[in-house]
Amino acid sequence: MKGIELVKLIDTSLCTACRGCQVACKQWNEVPAFRTKNNGSYQNPPDLQWNTWTLIRFQEYEDAGGKFTWLFRKDGCMHCTDAACVRVCPSGALYHTPFGTVGLRKEKCIGCKECVSACPFNIPRYDKATDKIYKCDLCQGRLQDNLSPACVKSCPTGALTIGAREAMIKKAHARAKALGGDANVYGDKFVDGTHVIYVLKEKPEVYDALPVNPHVPLSVMAWKDLLKPLSLVAAGGVLAASFLHYIIHGPKTPDDADNQTKEGGA
Amino acid sequence: MKKGLIKATDAFERIVHWSLAISCLVLCITGLGMMFHSFNFIGDLMGGLKSLKYVHNFTALFFVLALAFSIKMWWREAGVFSMPEDLEWMLCAGGYLWHVDHPPKVGKYNPGQKMFFLTVAFFGVIMVITGFIMWFPLSLPVELVRWMYPLHALGFVVIFAFFFVHLYLGTIGSPGSLPAMLHGWVTRAWLVKQHGKWLEEMEEKGTLEVYGEEKRAAQGH
Repeated sequence: MKGIELVKLIDTSLCTACRGCQVACKQWNEVPAFRTKNNGSYQNPPDLQWNTWTLIRFQEYEDAGGKFTWLFRKDGCMHCTDAACVRVCPSGALYHTPFGTVGLRKEKCIGCKECVSACPFNIPRYDKATDKIYKCDLCQGRLQDNLSPACVKSCPTGALTIGAREAMIKKAHARAKALGGDANVYGDKFVDGTHVIYVLKEKPEVYDALPVNPHVPLSVMAWKDLLKPLSLVAAGGVLAASFLHYIIHGPKTPDDADNQTKEGGA
Repeated sequence: MKKGLIKATDAFERIVHWSLAISCLVLCITGLGMMFHSFNFIGDLMGGLKSLKYVHNFTALFFVLALAFSIKMWWREAGVFSMPEDLEWMLCAGGYLWHVDHPPKVGKYNPGQKMFFLTVAFFGVIMVITGFIMWFPLSLPVELVRWMYPLHALGFVVIFAFFFVHLYLGTIGSPGSLPAMLHGWVTRAWLVKQHGKWLEEMEEKGTLEVYGEEKRAAQGH
């Protein structure tokens, strides 16, 4: 897997919600779990946390024919090609790896939380105790050692697979076609393609907490592509204009005290 | 201090000015350190980018105070335009951009300075509000928080550019102005040229303070 762009494929039609991936993620990355309580759902913990980088979302769903079904979706970082979090990160803690994934250098994170609101998928989570954010890095250390990520390794049904980008996208479309109906591929079309791609059984709008049309927020583009360069251009322009003013028009100097005519009330 | 110099500012005014100026400058420099990866090294001077974040955030608290005092102190003098002479002044740009035989006489602050004050006051408040939300963003709607960043950046674009205008016109662009904010005493020639109406007002009211002379009684005329 070294040196090639990877895609992790999540085939929701094969997922049985065993949550082996959730446990394997915590075990491999050595992140603790919080004590939780029963809140009426198998989805546990209820949301991603700074120490829960992947989560199986459980959703009860009735299709058009009134037939009940479970929808399981493994939530976590999508590893965007055009990642809003990398665009906004002030310290370079978030960065693009040669695998195409979005890595996180924890020691560089300053806890500014700019990525938290920039992410179109609502993934990064902040931990107050360490004043840093955390998220899935697709087990970068394992990828570097030519191993699959812990979640993929643990998956017993083949719902999680990883491989070269083009091949995985092709595989995803073939699988969606084979499933038929509303089955579709989610992830290859937006933010220049994500490096985690779903085969969804239902249309994207059916799923909880899944944006239908994710994109780098307009606010991030206004900020980083327009105002950020403009700040230096404007300051440089003012400096240049001041210099030109000085050499062309000249400063506004008081008239010589001797020549001055007294005016006004005095 | 030389005899005959005229008092333009009091100590309180200068302390507020420099509190605002220094905190604003520290915020600009530390802000640059976070805005551009190529300026990340500014954090090294403070023991890392995380310390720089704290310097930025806590200097902001000082800035809020200085801004509040500035607005309170200068609102009457620099926040209100006096017509029609301010309009006339603006139409000839105060004689700063092309030759004008006799630009209209202005009071303590000319319309350019008033616009500068209003811009700093307005964008200063914007910076405080957006900055505070950026400091504690997690309990607010994400759509709101997202727009705080470009607004904060817009405030920086304006304030940073205006800083250089202010720097130029406070020093070499307008000789004689700098002492007004250093020790507060300026020459009569400078006052006649820059703030003729103010000089007349002070003479009329008897509030003119000349170095080495007794202050004239308030009911002088």
